[in-house]
Amino acid sequence: MNRYAMSIDIDKCTGCGACMIACAVENNVPPLPQSNDRKGITWIRVFPVDNGEQGDTRQSAFLPMMCQQCDSTPCASVCPQQAVQLDVKTGIVGQMPERCLGCRYCMTACPYHARYFNWWDPKWPAGMEATLNPDVAPRMRGVVEKCNFCHGRWHAAKEQAASQGKREAADYTPACAESCPTGAIRFFDLLAGTPEAGSFRLLEKLGTETKIYYRSKRAWVKGLAEAPDGKEHHLA
Amino acid sequence: MSSTRRDLLKMTAGVAAGTLFTPAPWRLITDSAILSENWPGIFFSSHGAPTEKFTNCALCTAGCAVKARCVNDRPISLAGVVKSPICALGLAGLHMPFHTARIAHGDAENAAAAVRAAQGKVAVLDLRPGRTASWTYRRAMAALPGGIYLAPQRILNAVNLAAVKTLVSFGAPVLDGWGTPSKVLAAREHFSLIQVEKDQSHTGLLADRWIPVQPGNEPVVAQQIARDLPADGSSLFLSSAELPSVLKMNVTLGNLGHTVIARNETPVPAAWSKQAAAVHAIQNVADRSIGALLIDEASADVAVPWDVIAPKLTNSAVVITFASTQAGYGRYAQFVLPAAVYPEVTTDIPTAIDSVVATFRLATPLMAAPSGVVDAAEFVASLAKLDTKDALQERAASIHATGRGSLLSYSDQKSRPIKDVKADQFWTALNAGACWSDSESPLKAPRWEATIATPAICEAVRPKPPLFTKLYEESGLKGIAS
Repeated sequence: MNRYAMSIDIDKCTGCGACMIACAVENNVPPLPQSNDRKGITWIRVFPVDNGEQGDTRQSAFLPMMCQQCDSTPCASVCPQQAVQLDVKTGIVGQMPERCLGCRYCMTACPYHARYFNWWDPKWPAGMEATLNPDVAPRMRGVVEKCNFCHGRWHAAKEQAASQGKREAADYTPACAESCPTGAIRFFDLLAGTPEAGSFRLLEKLGTETKIYYRSKRAWVKGLAEAPDGKEHHLA
Repeated sequence: MSSTRRDLLKMTAGVAAGTLFTPAPWRLITDSAILSENWPGIFFSSHGAPTEKFTNCALCTAGCAVKARCVNDRPISLAGVVKSPICALGLAGLHMPFHTARIAHGDAENAAAAVRAAQGKVAVLDLRPGRTASWTYRRAMAALPGGIYLAPQRILNAVNLAAVKTLVSFGAPVLDGWGTPSKVLAAREHFSLIQVEKDQSHTGLLADRWIPVQPGNEPVVAQQIARDLPADGSSLFLSSAELPSVLKMNVTLGNLGHTVIARNETPVPAAWSKQAAAVHAIQNVADRSIGALLIDEASADVAVPWDVIAPKLTNSAVVITFASTQAGYGRYAQFVLPAAVYPEVTTDIPTAIDSVVATFRLATPLMAAPSGVVDAAEFVASLAKLDTKDALQERAASIHATGRGSLLSYSDQKSRPIKDVKADQFWTALNAGACWSDSESPLKAPRWEATIATPAICEAVRPKPPLFTKLYEESGLKGIAS
């Protein structure tokens, strides 16, 4: 039994995008040249944010945003196909593209805008299919997808543990946490550890009980977590 | 006239037969296939047991250590090693061979003939000097009558980040691909960063102070900032465009020998140094003196503006470039010869700008290069009838013979003195991604006056991996090491 979670230090994030690229490589997210801000797919996205000031008082930060792995899942409750399920053994919210009919109710219900719709069939430049991760199936046109804490890695870790006669998956880390050059993203098990003191969660007032914890020493960054609050925070 | 049941049946059969000659049923088949699509999936040719390989990233001179997960002799993901992360570009490096603009064919035979026809006026422009291939070019140019070896000269070749307390950057992407990520991030806690540039970059966003500047006003701003800094050699002035007036502040503030240091070169066999042509900056070459210019741009770190190159060529000059796409000098070249790209290449990586000691590491191929690619060093060596097949191994042997330094192996994270490693073990370890670092020696001040002349360099045109789509660009992520 696990309850996987993530802790992200916003003050350490340099917005390099290594997590976005590592995630896309790991999870076979296609490089669709026609994809854009609205129709593209990226399971994790780093948003540049600022405090809305100008001149010397202006401050900026980067906010990595992915599926918040809610315990109280707004997406699962609206899915007519049971294509979204919270795995009670891991705490991971899974998405099953085989069941998804593409109604996108879940995208509307998600308060974090962390779900993406496949507007096109996945396509790779000639020959690049050979570099795809064989542990993760590409998703077809017409279904929704999102971060699942690199479920392929979890399966691989489980298999490895089983081969060693163990029950719990050891050495399981999602690609974003593994690739983060500054160590801003930390992956941990809530049953074995706790988030750092002063951590906060996004839109906590909604009661979604997310498992992605953020932290920052800057008050205006914490303020973003409860936006909109009437102040002019800028989420680019 | 009365209709019978037979007529009705005949009409139905006729309509059915006639419909087959219209597009309707055929379209219906396609449409119903789409509507009831059962995902056919993507053809995976990489099923098999995953293996781990270690190599070094050759996309920039940082040369970060890379752990590759491979299936069926093909990389399926790249990652950094412990305490040495890689950047976004490095993570997507395994996709570089599949760039849609990649060129597959080139006329190497006619290119060689054209170079031979320009005997006496041949030059090589090496856009990543310091490699073993660079020494091959120098030896070949020395062997060819009138051969000239050209390399872009940079004012700053080595810096000591550990000694920096204040870093003043004029547009240099300090936190976004300028140096070795692990070294820059480790040093970041110890220096305050002032970023001066026209538009706020990622580095500007994360700097302790960001100063907007109108292009052309940099020298004035640099002087203003320098006035408030102590002249104790603890600051460092960087400039993306290598502005001499800005970089000269390093002399004014006594940074030479402290934060700005002389580059330590990796040893080469003694015979090579004796036979090598001198290094020239292209702006110092006589106008209309080059009849055949070979440009190695496949691994370019910087480029030379074409405006600087063009006056040096004769009217009938032939330009041959070794590149993976036509986006760079290909527009001006008569011959574009396809080059292997990382992670197909076998090459060494020159010492990084932020390394205080000389290093030697290899980028070994993680996958086979397609047929038709031309090895630039072999091509140039063949013109001078040099045998350079084992050049990398020869250089490794000469490094081992010095008995200096240590060898860090990434597979076991162990560092061993070179004295404890046999020559063949050294070569094997290098091919498995190990890194040789020279022994530390007292830091020397660079020969500043020799390099302060206005450099003629610009940013190299480099293809981005296919994953760097519009979406990533819209996310405001630069992700490209400079």
